[in-house]
Amino acid sequence: MEGYVTEIQRFSVHDGPGIRTTVFLKGCNMHCIWCHNPETLNPGPELQLFPEKCIGCGECFKCCPRQAHLVIAGERKLRRELCESCGKCAGGCYADALVMVGRKMSPAQVLDEAMEDKEFYASSGGGVTVSGGEPVYQADFSHEILRLCKEKGIHTAIESNMAWPWEKVAPLLPVTDLVMMDLKVLDDQMHQRVTGISNRAVLDNAKKLSRQSLPMIIRTPIIPGVNDTVQAIAAIAEFIAGFTHLLYYELLPYHPLATGKYHSLGMKYGMEGVKRPERALMDELAAAARSRGVTVRCTGA
Amino acid sequence: MNYNRRLALLREKKIEHTQAKVRAAGFIDEDDYGTVPVPEDFHWQSIPNHPNGSFYGASGWAANFKSLMEIHPVYVDPLDALAGRWSIIMPKMRKQDWLPEHDTSFLREEQLKYDIDPGIGASSHFGPDYRIGLELGWDGLLAKVRHYRGLYGPEKSEFYQAEEDVILAVQTWIHRTIAHIHELEKTEPHPGLRANLEQMAAVNEWVIGKPPRTLREACQWIAWFNMVSRTYNRDGAGGQLDALLRPYYEKDIAAGLIEDEDAIFYIACLLLNDPHYYQLGGPGPDGQDVTSHISFLILEAAHRLDSSNNLTVRVHDGLNREFFLKSVQYLFEDRKGWPRFAGDKGLVEGFMRNGYPVELARERIAVGCNWMAIPGREYTMNDCVKLNAAKVFDVAFHEMMDDTGVEPSLDELWRCFESHFNRAILCTSKGIDLHLRHQKENAPELMMNLLCHGPVEKGLDVSDGGVEYYNMCIDAVGLATVSDSFAALEQRVAIEKALTWRAIHDYLEADYTGAEGERVRLMMKSSPKYGQGGSLGDRWAERVSELFTRLMKQSPTPDGHNRIPGWFSWSRTIKYGKPVGATPNGRHAGTPISFGANPDPGFRKDSAPTAMVKAVARVQSGYGNTVPIQLELDPGLSREEGGIEKVADLIETHFKLGGTLFNINVIDAEKIREAHRDPTKYPDLVVRVTGFTAYFAALSPEFRQLVVDRIIQE
Repeated sequence: MEGYVTEIQRFSVHDGPGIRTTVFLKGCNMHCIWCHNPETLNPGPELQLFPEKCIGCGECFKCCPRQAHLVIAGERKLRRELCESCGKCAGGCYADALVMVGRKMSPAQVLDEAMEDKEFYASSGGGVTVSGGEPVYQADFSHEILRLCKEKGIHTAIESNMAWPWEKVAPLLPVTDLVMMDLKVLDDQMHQRVTGISNRAVLDNAKKLSRQSLPMIIRTPIIPGVNDTVQAIAAIAEFIAGFTHLLYYELLPYHPLATGKYHSLGMKYGMEGVKRPERALMDELAAAARSRGVTVRCTGA
Repeated sequence: MNYNRRLALLREKKIEHTQAKVRAAGFIDEDDYGTVPVPEDFHWQSIPNHPNGSFYGASGWAANFKSLMEIHPVYVDPLDALAGRWSIIMPKMRKQDWLPEHDTSFLREEQLKYDIDPGIGASSHFGPDYRIGLELGWDGLLAKVRHYRGLYGPEKSEFYQAEEDVILAVQTWIHRTIAHIHELEKTEPHPGLRANLEQMAAVNEWVIGKPPRTLREACQWIAWFNMVSRTYNRDGAGGQLDALLRPYYEKDIAAGLIEDEDAIFYIACLLLNDPHYYQLGGPGPDGQDVTSHISFLILEAAHRLDSSNNLTVRVHDGLNREFFLKSVQYLFEDRKGWPRFAGDKGLVEGFMRNGYPVELARERIAVGCNWMAIPGREYTMNDCVKLNAAKVFDVAFHEMMDDTGVEPSLDELWRCFESHFNRAILCTSKGIDLHLRHQKENAPELMMNLLCHGPVEKGLDVSDGGVEYYNMCIDAVGLATVSDSFAALEQRVAIEKALTWRAIHDYLEADYTGAEGERVRLMMKSSPKYGQGGSLGDRWAERVSELFTRLMKQSPTPDGHNRIPGWFSWSRTIKYGKPVGATPNGRHAGTPISFGANPDPGFRKDSAPTAMVKAVARVQSGYGNTVPIQLELDPGLSREEGGIEKVADLIETHFKLGGTLFNINVIDAEKIREAHRDPTKYPDLVVRVTGFTAYFAALSPEFRQLVVDRIIQE
């Protein structure tokens, strides 16, 4: 079995307790307009172009079988409609102007990399988090990674949007120690508009998960114009207030760091120019959630 | 006026002093020693005793020190608990540092060839045992010198006379300072500060001769020793401060003489007086943790002083967890680069490999910049002797390529490298032997001798057999540069055959010039690197480090002195890079080599500190000297829930894996602005971007701006 991995991040400090390694998989069923990891959306490998790093050596022109590379009026371009993401050009681009994102790996290979930090997991109470993209998008692959980690005694977590039929989610739970899930907005119309899909399954799964004995963390990215109001956050807080195994509710401020990544993938970024929410607003939203009886963490970006 | 207000004013004055020193002498690229500026009308001329205009030997140093102490400015601040500050490094007034009679020129060619800092004639860089002075006081030390003088004949009279002279000179300076305190008492308008001056005078009238009885007297005694030892030859070694002060503190508390607030103030004044290198916590000889209540008070004193200091926390299995976490918390809260952390397991197990028992190894504590010493019992030349491994590599590579009778290969290059490394170590060792044979004639350690076990008893300088243990340090520099170069050659030339040996040689000779040269440089640079974990670079780094250790430990110096290896470059990576040509790791000729034992910046895309921590743990030299890791972190890490614990886990895990010294610099707002203006100034700065960390220098300007905004906002 093999799957596509975007990146394996060591010393990850936002993806669960302790010192963790986060495995970012490729492929996502949602297309959130603010997504700060656009390179994880596409399930397959793809080519990133960073023109500012190009030294003009011309190697990519020589090795591309589809002649997808060109320079127009001194500007470095990529004809994406021709590119088959074969990666030959990136392999010879030592300036890192061309980078392939998406590595085909076996679960055992992922485990090998995760084991690099095994000494830190035990002492810090950390472990491995399978994230995305969306881990359920490659459910079997995720399951096998989590299972192998559990076999080694490593604490496991998943970060999921939970917009899946329960039958897809349930098999992951026996090999998962902690579920981190997003509740982006309760209003389904808004949810569909900003993520591309309904939140009905998300809410159903959240309720089902709350009846499991698994610890869970619910997270909401605070997105200007989408859910940055006391009303929107209070509604979510009320929805989750009775969840028995909820460790805490986490608010994450939107950050505009993904612009360059969108450009490198030839994608348009719908949030260009939008600013990070002010700290005062984050504090106000956190207070609103707390007043509904929920433990809240507000993580600064 | 309360203590906090007094500390704030003292801190402001220190900043003024620093600014005045910079105005007078330019930027200071070394430790802040707590000196005060020399008054403009002050003038002192050294007394030469050699035709070259310099001064040498016991009588020469004693005469100069005596002359300086008679007129050295006296300094008293009514706000301070302690009297005195120092201003002058006496040996900086010498015309020449080494005796011309003991020729070193026969080593010169190889010293240049391998870029060796030989350390010949270097002073101090071992540790005093303050307990000797605290138990005897200056009068007791004088009586001890006179007692042992009586046991020997005239052949040792110069040595003993010199020791007597320096003690009397110290007392002269203290005496002049007491007179100045009395003068200030007459004019001090503030009743509280006048009372302080009266107490200060009483403390000094006692400690000028007798051993200290109280915490304030003990702090004053240590401060005086530090001031005179600094003046004498810039010695900055400290001791196990919590254990040294504990008996005085507990006695004062039991007698109801002081409260914790008083103790914190006295200790803060001691740290203000001079930021010597002190160790806190760690195991005593019996393995039990020495952390006590005063260890916390010392941390608190440093925190309230909020200035530079050089405290090191010794991390071992039994360390008080609360104390450890508190020390990590202050690292982030104060952002002044303190404390550093020393790893007991790697240091103790390593030192024992030299054949020493565990009890002795535990006594070898952090008393210097990157180094350890057994207080009062060991002579080391720690941090004085450096060997540029990148230059050795440069020499080896070109020798192989210039030899037309040899087919270039990795094996051949390794053989060549080993041979030159060995020659460089031998040349360095000969320099150490020369130093040990003649240092007593050049620059005897008249101050440090007094706080060592043996020199006074035997009438021998500490550099001349006065103490029990001689473990001579040689640090290599440039580990990542060398190992990444080997890895790049293996990857691109040996495995991929993307280049021939001749081709890479020619690119190096041309310093990778031209468009094709730049592409080749980037190709070499993107080869597997040290620090990635299990990479070719990691394997070469381990091999290079093992080679250095093996060559160092295969024999003692020609005169039979034990050698101990380490890897440490100071911050002189620019200097060490200058004589080194372009290297196969994609480094341009003359540019800086790698820092200490750190992987080169950019060694991993995620710049994971865990990866660096493991990599540096794997290249430890293993005989009790340090191979430090240096991490630059942004303060955001500590603000996360459990952030302090995560950094503490990082430190502890490094030490469990065998690491020896952990330096963390938490970046402050000004530094991050500076790094934003010129990222090359902080190539190692790791920042938290979102949930992950990255090299600040590697981020785009827009990205950097966002990080800057966040840190400044926090």
